[in-house]
Amino acid sequence: MRTLTLALVTVTLVAAGAREVVAHHSFAPFNMESEKTISGTIKKFDWTNPHTWIWLDVTNDKGVVETWGIEGMSPNYLGRRGWTKNSLKPGDKVSIVVRPMRDGSPGGMFVRATLADGRELRQSGQAVD
Amino acid sequence: MRPTPLSRLASVATLLLMMLADRPAHAQTTAKSAPTAADWAALAKLPDFTGVWEIGLGGGGGGRGRGAPPQGPSLTPTAAAKRKELQSLGREDNQTANCLPPGMPGIMGQPYPMEFLLTPGKVTIVIEAYTQVRHIYTDGRALPEDPDLKFHGTSVGRWEGNTLVVDSIGFSPLTELVANVPHGDKMRVRERFTLTGPDTMSIETTVTDPDVLTAPFTTTRVLQRHRSWTIAEYVCQENNRNFVDEKGKAGIRLDDPSGSPRK
Repeated sequence: MRTLTLALVTVTLVAAGAREVVAHHSFAPFNMESEKTISGTIKKFDWTNPHTWIWLDVTNDKGVVETWGIEGMSPNYLGRRGWTKNSLKPGDKVSIVVRPMRDGSPGGMFVRATLADGRELRQSGQAVD
Repeated sequence: MRPTPLSRLASVATLLLMMLADRPAHAQTTAKSAPTAADWAALAKLPDFTGVWEIGLGGGGGGRGRGAPPQGPSLTPTAAAKRKELQSLGREDNQTANCLPPGMPGIMGQPYPMEFLLTPGKVTIVIEAYTQVRHIYTDGRALPEDPDLKFHGTSVGRWEGNTLVVDSIGFSPLTELVANVPHGDKMRVRERFTLTGPDTMSIETTVTDPDVLTAPFTTTRVLQRHRSWTIAEYVCQENNRNFVDEKGKAGIRLDDPSGSPRK
């Protein structure tokens, strides 16, 4: 049952004033009250179920490159809202807003991304027929 | 002896009589007889459920679409105590994080589309989420007395005017009525599927469970038809990095990104 997710979605809707839907699991691993912006280079974009995963190489404060894992909605969901498997390509410079992992691991839940050309990617929005 | 034309004719006539005798008195389709052209033609008179349907705006996030009442189910004291106990364990997630499908009734509230296939004596619901299928027999059969316990239970349906009414019983103990509310053996789900506009459908779901609920628990979801869509593949194990452990602690595997399917 996804009722737990629903409860968390509802809380999030109120808190963030935005639609965020993760169908497959709860938001427990993420800090849903926090947003963090990370910038780097796309290493890989997994266009896979049950979630898409963006692997982003980010240079940290110590000058070391760290690969962040960013979870997004599924290709099924995003594909009906304008995304494709080529929405993010290896080598793309991108800035991504995430809800970071609570345990401090280099990962988070996708909120939105801005590409070098100014194009913005969001997960929410009306389905496209 | 070589068969004469007359004896051949007699054999064919006997065979025909046997076939006719084998048909039920009413031309009702059952799994035991092949559907006739009339059975197929009769489908055209039913409401048009074709196309792909999804819960309206925002997806509904796994619980319900628009139109659902805000209140939860009314629980018996035992079930309420059980819920409190389960909540106190601080479970962060359930087994769907490990790719186990939610089963009924949760599977009908996913933010993914479904498709209805009407064939003589049967409605099949193809559900994208977790790649699930529901089989609803509309051939007049009764629900079984002692069904095996299944994630979707066992379902029969009938048409009341333009509404498909589906009754289901016999649910796996691995499914929940709602979060932290295990269902009882006697849980019964009645769903009413009705077209409410050219491309909208209402599903009213009423759960009864004498061991758990003090009153029927009814929710209503509104689905939108998307004629141009197709059902997509959803293999949960493809790249599942979420998990929940035995204590209900939720986590994410961020390790070895190069090991994920698309290198």
